[in-house]
Amino acid sequence: MKNSLKKLLALSMAAVTAMTMSVTAFADEPYNSYNYDTWEDAIPSQSGYRVERTVTGEEMGLDRLTDPEDPLFVSETAVTTLDGAMDFFVDDERNEFWVADSENNRILRLNEDLEIIGRYYGVSGDSEINVDETTGLSNFMNPYGLYVTTSPFTGDLTLYVADYDNSRVVKAKVVSETECELIHEYTRPEEALYTSQTFNPTKIVVDQAENVYAVVQSVNTGSVQFARDGSFTGFYGANRVEVTAAVIAQRLWRTIASNEQIAGMTRNVPVEYANFDIDEDGFIYTVTEVSTSTDAVKKLNPAGYNIWDNEVGNEYTFGDLSGNVWDSTTNTLHATRLTDIVIGNNGLINILDYETGRVFQYDRNCNLICIFGTKNSTSDQRGSFSNPNAVEALGNNIYVLDGGKNDITVFTETTFGSYVHSAFEYYDEGRYSDAKADWEEVIKRDGNYTMAYIGLGRAALNDGEYSEALEYFETAYDQDNYDKAFEYTREEFLRENFTIIIVIILVLIIWFIVLKIIHKKGIYLIKKKAKEGK
Amino acid sequence: MYEFTTMGWLKHVIFHPVEGFEDLRWKKQGSMKVALVIVFLLFVYMVADRQLTGFQFNDAYVKVFNVVPLIVQSVVYFFTWVIANWALCTLFDGEGTLKKICVYSAYALVPFIVCGFIGVLMSNVLVQEESIWLTAINWLGIGWSVVLMIQAMRAAHQYSFGKTIVSMIFTVVAMLLILFLAILLLSLFQQVYVFGYSIYTEIAYRIRG
Repeated sequence: MKNSLKKLLALSMAAVTAMTMSVTAFADEPYNSYNYDTWEDAIPSQSGYRVERTVTGEEMGLDRLTDPEDPLFVSETAVTTLDGAMDFFVDDERNEFWVADSENNRILRLNEDLEIIGRYYGVSGDSEINVDETTGLSNFMNPYGLYVTTSPFTGDLTLYVADYDNSRVVKAKVVSETECELIHEYTRPEEALYTSQTFNPTKIVVDQAENVYAVVQSVNTGSVQFARDGSFTGFYGANRVEVTAAVIAQRLWRTIASNEQIAGMTRNVPVEYANFDIDEDGFIYTVTEVSTSTDAVKKLNPAGYNIWDNEVGNEYTFGDLSGNVWDSTTNTLHATRLTDIVIGNNGLINILDYETGRVFQYDRNCNLICIFGTKNSTSDQRGSFSNPNAVEALGNNIYVLDGGKNDITVFTETTFGSYVHSAFEYYDEGRYSDAKADWEEVIKRDGNYTMAYIGLGRAALNDGEYSEALEYFETAYDQDNYDKAFEYTREEFLRENFTIIIVIILVLIIWFIVLKIIHKKGIYLIKKKAKEGK
Repeated sequence: MYEFTTMGWLKHVIFHPVEGFEDLRWKKQGSMKVALVIVFLLFVYMVADRQLTGFQFNDAYVKVFNVVPLIVQSVVYFFTWVIANWALCTLFDGEGTLKKICVYSAYALVPFIVCGFIGVLMSNVLVQEESIWLTAINWLGIGWSVVLMIQAMRAAHQYSFGKTIVSMIFTVVAMLLILFLAILLLSLFQQVYVFGYSIYTEIAYRIRG
């Protein structure tokens, strides 16, 4: 007895030692992966992505710009690092990256492996803005955003640049790896509708009809929209004012205040949105940086109507759910600040939170898939950011551009991530049974993954296994789906036991009738006490 | 004329909201034991509502189950009601004794508890689309109990209708006051305890040197 106890102790000690050893030997991301459960509590989860590598200017091969032999040569003194890059863009057709290297006033063109294949310092052609006398180019000044597409009209590779300090949006045809030709320049619209004094475009998106949408600094009436011919056609998809107590109070004061007092009050204006993206179907997705419950993330249809509108009864949530959270490792108070959104070719939505450096990935129905990336005090580890400015997706990889560390971090999906993605792909297509195998793999790796249980429950429901579905939905605590499954279960139960139920009801009715009759005759099966006790 | 068993009186009172409590008072009926059982059942109902309501209707946070708030919401609230009502109404010519108020109030709660239990049972066979039935049965219980409670207080104190309503509203205010003072007292004693404990640790450290 004593011996066996000793053995058990030794065994458990060995197990504990083995466990601690494996923990210390494991190279991990500099953050703990987490996810949200049905109660919106953060719970630990598996990593859906891991950092593959980080790419700096040197690894991109930017020293080619200083090599006189090289076709990309600029000058001996050209800067060979990125500097404060604000945006980048993935050209899905050619698998190329375009980086707006803002403070170096240039656009870089990289191939799939993030190696430089082109650089653009300005556009040639008929322009009077910021013309360089030696090269004759109209140089970029602090390009904040860009968009690249093959023009559906001419078939040319067309580059759009939000040229911030030059107060213009450039539309140019890419001629070679160093040159592009100006097609059109969109400048401040000289119209009464455009009231802002300045025109500093920060982000840009172009739709199938070559309408240009530009987010312009300090314009809060939506993005500025230009038609293909360059004419200003109006504003698109403005945010609304978030209804807070202060706004309501001011509305009340306004009704009783004098005109002079009203003039002195601050105006309630909506927050301008920070960034946007367009998907294959022409829907425009916007994110707003300021922490706000209305319109933090929107999906706009071509009419500018928000499809993800929570005020019509939906429950879409984005970013961290717990609001302002004190982070003890950085000694800061987090307020979610969603800075970029990208819709991958696989339909997944990636949203970058500038404040925490986290990327939140959602499926097309806004179910949270995974959260990765971080920001900590030193941010010198891979996977940790300093100024995460933009996020892009290509294939199964996610790329994050850091304007502080001046590099691009490449995330690849883990095994867990690939199972989740393939499961979600089936799930979103409504092929619940096909997703079953993947969900089971997901559960093997992360038993807390709520969506897996919902997915399995849906599959069981499809297959008519109602009691199994009920169990899955109960595990996931998905009341709405449970309700559906319960309705079917009840129906099935009633159908199967119909005769028994009818028989029981008939027997009860007959029993009561018989009782009534014998009571009338004065016979009692159970003796009554109180009535006789007068 | 009225000769019932204890349970018979309970039934009579519930189904005769207009004169039931007057009869109860006239015949000097009403059992404290039954009243206490009813209060206990109120607590059981609170627990059942949280734990046994059908999954599709149960919005309780299932990760933690703490029985203390449920005790407070049932037993403590009930006795606070009784004490507050007694304290108030003895000052305003109420004829009710503490025992009478306790028994009558408990009797008046029966429809609420019964309908609540029926609701819990029904929630296990209904789906969300049919939730109107649950709402209906719960409101039926609440409405019935409120009517009974007004009649109970009227009979206990021999008030007019208007005075009963006013006294009940002020009873709620008095309840809040009592609970406020209780919490104040509790936190005060907590601080005294913490103070004493820190002195003890301080001394313990000094002695150990």
